[in-house]
Amino acid sequence: MPAPEHSDDERERCVTGIDAIDHILNGGVPRGNTVLISGSVGTGKTSICIEFLVRGALNGENSLYLSVTEPTDKLLMNVIPFDFFDDKLVRQGKLQFVDLPKIYDKLGIDKEDLDFDQTRLLADTIAGIVEEQKIRRLVLDSVTSVCYRIREQERIRDFLLRLGTVLSAKGCTTLLVSEIRSSEDGYSQWGVEEALADGVIVTGNLERRGDLLRTLQIVKMRGTTHSRAKYVLDLTTSGVLLVPLLKGGSVASGG
Amino acid sequence: MAVEVSITSEIAEKLRALPDSSAVALHLKSDQYFDAIQGMLDRFAMKKDLEVVYVTSTIPSQSIINALEVLEIPMDHIWFVDCVSQIMMSQAKRHPHAIIVESPTMLENIMLKVEFLIRGHPDRNALVVLDSINSLAIHNNTKILSEFLHILVNHLRSRGAYTVIFSMREYETDEIRNMLVLVSDDSIELGK
Repeated sequence: MPAPEHSDDERERCVTGIDAIDHILNGGVPRGNTVLISGSVGTGKTSICIEFLVRGALNGENSLYLSVTEPTDKLLMNVIPFDFFDDKLVRQGKLQFVDLPKIYDKLGIDKEDLDFDQTRLLADTIAGIVEEQKIRRLVLDSVTSVCYRIREQERIRDFLLRLGTVLSAKGCTTLLVSEIRSSEDGYSQWGVEEALADGVIVTGNLERRGDLLRTLQIVKMRGTTHSRAKYVLDLTTSGVLLVPLLKGGSVASGG
Repeated sequence: MAVEVSITSEIAEKLRALPDSSAVALHLKSDQYFDAIQGMLDRFAMKKDLEVVYVTSTIPSQSIINALEVLEIPMDHIWFVDCVSQIMMSQAKRHPHAIIVESPTMLENIMLKVEFLIRGHPDRNALVVLDSINSLAIHNNTKILSEFLHILVNHLRSRGAYTVIFSMREYETDEIRNMLVLVSDDSIELGK
């Protein structure tokens, strides 16, 4: 009997707990992958990330959300009230929320632009927190905002490579949120992020005959075979739900 | 009155005779509409202890809820996915058992809301009612509607849910009949 083209049994999986995504990925994100979750505003990136962390924490995995653009207090007020969310997870430290600006303050980073040393210091500090707290799931929301401060493509490359390598070695599965405009080609602001990530999940808006549908597509995931089809997404209190995008209708414009 | 009794009993009996997880095309006339609903919900779903997800694209959910109240059918295990109220710009106040889909053209969102409601009751088997294929056909072309039915029915079958698809005889076309034959395990012709 011929060997299968790809074997999905080789890598341990981080079961996201979002059933449809685990199904698309044939069992979950390969453990230790750094995945870019890319999309324009209001497409569900943050909700997917929060569910990923909450499901992980419920499964006993320490989970950390690093917020760059929005204070976590405000974020938590606006997040979907998931039925499965348990305050105990936060009290027990299984689920942690940290504002990255506080880390900048601690590190004495007060300039808008990060130089080479500060970029490395930031990557090492995040890696240190992951190691110290035994974090198994990390979300950086958003990597775009961090990259805005790093600015230089070379330094961005160095930051992402350093962070990705260390986190992968620690078995930490990471989601990096990438903010893009709906009109943009590519999946990241600087281009470097998508090239270095192990996986790219794209969320978007699809307009079809005047209806606006939220969509999700996994375009890349190292370490597993997966569907590359587009799905329609719903953000509900029981979590993120997906169904296949129907293809029978005429599509006015892509998303 | 004798006719009404026979329609409600007929549909309940025919549904009871089907194996679990069946998908059924229910062909009926407009004047049998509320009797069919009563038979299906009161005499079949309640007796079988099913959670009902009722997708309405024909009339607003509130109209059906009003009828259920008159018929004294309890709403505890009946949920609506309402695809018409929003496009009709009707009433701002929604019944707590009704979820709105913006338009009957958003077929994926109908599937998502059905899934959401089924997930909310993991311990109970479900009956999903699609009312009706004819009204969905007003807003969607045959190709996308066939694809929708194919995915939805197979998904519900895999979840062990019953599916009943209403088709009003007065508005049936060959295309609709063919579509229903393709996805249904059985067909019930009321009053025949």
